Amino acid sequence: MNFALAWRILTHDKGRTALAVAGVFLAIVLVFVQLGFFIAVPRGGMLLYDRIGFDLLVASTAYEYQVQPGEFPVSQLDRAKTAPEVALAAPLYFGSAKWRSGEDGKAPDVFVIGLNPQAQIFTSEDLNRQLAILDQADTALVDSATRPMFGPLTAGRVVEIDGDKLKIGGDYVLGTGFMGLGVILISAKNFGRLFPFRNLDQVNLGLIQLKPGVDPDRAAASLRKLLGTDVQIFTHPKLEAHETAYWTTRTSVGLLFGSGLIVSFIVGVMVVYQILATQVSRQLPQFATLKAVGYGDTFLSGTVITMALLIVLAGFFPALAAALGIYAVIRDETLLPVEMSGARIAAVFAATLAMAAASALLSMGSLRRADPADLFG
Amino acid sequence: MTATSNFGGERRPVGFVPLAWRNLLANKPRLLRSSGGIGFAVLLMLMQLGFERAFFNASLEVIRLLDGDIFLQRASKYRFATKDPFPRRDLEAARTVPGVVNAWPLYADWHHVFWQNPTNDKNFLVRIFAFDPDQPVLPLPKLEGSPKDLSDLDTGVVDRRARRFLGMDPQPSAAELNGSKIKIIGSFALGPDFENDGTVVIGDRTFAKLLPNSRGGPPDIELGVVRLTPGSDPTTVQQAITAAVPSDIAVLTKAQLLELERKFQADVSSAGPIFVMGTLVGFIVGLLISYQIIYTDVAEQQPQYATMKAMGYRTRYLVQVVLEQAVLSALAGWVPASLVAILLFRIVGEVALLPLHMTLELALVSLLLTVGMCLISAMLAVRRVISTDPAEVF
Repeated sequence: MNFALAWRILTHDKGRTALAVAGVFLAIVLVFVQLGFFIAVPRGGMLLYDRIGFDLLVASTAYEYQVQPGEFPVSQLDRAKTAPEVALAAPLYFGSAKWRSGEDGKAPDVFVIGLNPQAQIFTSEDLNRQLAILDQADTALVDSATRPMFGPLTAGRVVEIDGDKLKIGGDYVLGTGFMGLGVILISAKNFGRLFPFRNLDQVNLGLIQLKPGVDPDRAAASLRKLLGTDVQIFTHPKLEAHETAYWTTRTSVGLLFGSGLIVSFIVGVMVVYQILATQVSRQLPQFATLKAVGYGDTFLSGTVITMALLIVLAGFFPALAAALGIYAVIRDETLLPVEMSGARIAAVFAATLAMAAASALLSMGSLRRADPADLFG
Repeated sequence: MTATSNFGGERRPVGFVPLAWRNLLANKPRLLRSSGGIGFAVLLMLMQLGFERAFFNASLEVIRLLDGDIFLQRASKYRFATKDPFPRRDLEAARTVPGVVNAWPLYADWHHVFWQNPTNDKNFLVRIFAFDPDQPVLPLPKLEGSPKDLSDLDTGVVDRRARRFLGMDPQPSAAELNGSKIKIIGSFALGPDFENDGTVVIGDRTFAKLLPNSRGGPPDIELGVVRLTPGSDPTTVQQAITAAVPSDIAVLTKAQLLELERKFQADVSSAGPIFVMGTLVGFIVGLLISYQIIYTDVAEQQPQYATMKAMGYRTRYLVQVVLEQAVLSALAGWVPASLVAILLFRIVGEVALLPLHMTLELALVSLLLTVGMCLISAMLAVRRVISTDPAEVF
């Protein structure tokens, strides 16, 4: 009966209901988008880690986040290799250089990753196969997401980086994340040539792959004992928590999209409330009549809540579809890994229900004014 | 012609606003609801616009502060915050050009200097600016302390508005830059941007010691700051300097320098589109809410409008009343929303250390958007008034 009445009221005035649904639709889309960025920004910071296969990450105690990792002696990695749990310990070198072959004579900064081409560290088999080319002198692989201002990324092109000439050996698909506008991979040997002042005995990060069946937490604990307190060891979940905390609390990202999230939610509440309150006041004589013939306040409130639910549900599903489309556009435009997940859908759905509840509660006030005596006033 | 056409029985509206004003005030709860609804849509627009401006302003702030008319930098420099310095002799070449009073260097670094927070000994990357203390080409906002004292070796001034974890506020008495001890002799209020957490300003001698030139000699110059003799034509002097320096040096006015940075930010960062989209959603939601409000109101007043029509009021006048009422509703939503936005900007600006300000421009843009959105809704809703038939009322 609740449902039937709510349905009748909503379908009686289709234009108005359509407006309400459109408003809720937009508010939910905005909630999805803000939440998308809120989560995508830390994910963008995890990009490289997400595409490398490792169980533990060894980093300096000065490690801040991926792009500011600090350094530690390579001997620590050699020591780690002696542990029975460890299958592979590979160093990563990070550097920044001027790409002097940009468009319009500009020299954008390029993020340089130095690695051992023999260690197949990436999750992408294609990329692992490509690494062999890095054994050639002064040859680099370029991330395909490197910005157009770097000029063409065609294989065979020789570019000037800092003072050196490097040949582009090909491009790979990984993503630049927050590493910079352009990223290249080179061998540790070529890295040493490109950065003559860098001591290759000092590495930025150490990737550890464990032997099959070894528990990462246990291995981390025994490596901590082995390597001492000069370095820190992250398991995957620890690393993710660390990077997420960095991006959401250290930068303004959390506040920016967090506040956007809250305001979008309130706007959604306002839209639904607006429609409900108007409907209630328009149907006030009818509600009063219902009261007069014996329906209780609970029934009337139930009707308003049902109306609110119907409106938000009608807005939610198209909003979800639209958000999927918008995420795809944002992925292409910003190169951030904005992806829909079950948890996110559930969270926004819960927020949507809360939107309905809040707006229904707000409109109850007008409902209480439904007084049968007024009918004949 | 006009006089005669006005003759027959048409009544001139007496007051201008009163009818719309009374309509607005007739139902106080509804007024509250409508200004709440429109207000939140406006608040959403204001926040998104404010964030967008804060984002761009934070990165432009330092360039705006620079005290000069013409600027020299490496032509390959694609943005301000990247180290791409040029040799000192190129700036000296500019100094000899007629119309140039003087040309002084600004030294900078964004990626090689670590600041040690004196309270917990943790190291963080900071942005460094340096100049000749006798020629402070970068005037620091709200500087406490004298820039002259920077001529002492190993001294520096820090940013009170830097991110808290750097430990620059309250100003420490000493700290370390790249492991060497620096005496802190003052502080200024600049604030971080989206890439730099904090700023330290030092004298040119300290800079040379901290980041020595790998080729020996004085450090290379990040930006040459040129001042012109009063009355000289900037374009002429700009051309003369361009001719006097090598072709790998770009000679720019401040407007061009700002434009280069703005263009870079707009091209590369995703902040612009994100906030424009938020603003657009605010506008559309506001449109829906205000349409809803105005339509309901017009519908409820329909008998009254029909009566007025029967009395001889022209449709034009009735439409005018509805539009006036729309503008009033817009104001009723915009005023509280702007006040809340001022408060929110203050709070978020302090917490996030962003230059979030309610500027005249922001106020005007949001007011225009709000009035625009209410007028569009009113025009859609007003069709009902136009179709009002006096006969239907009875």
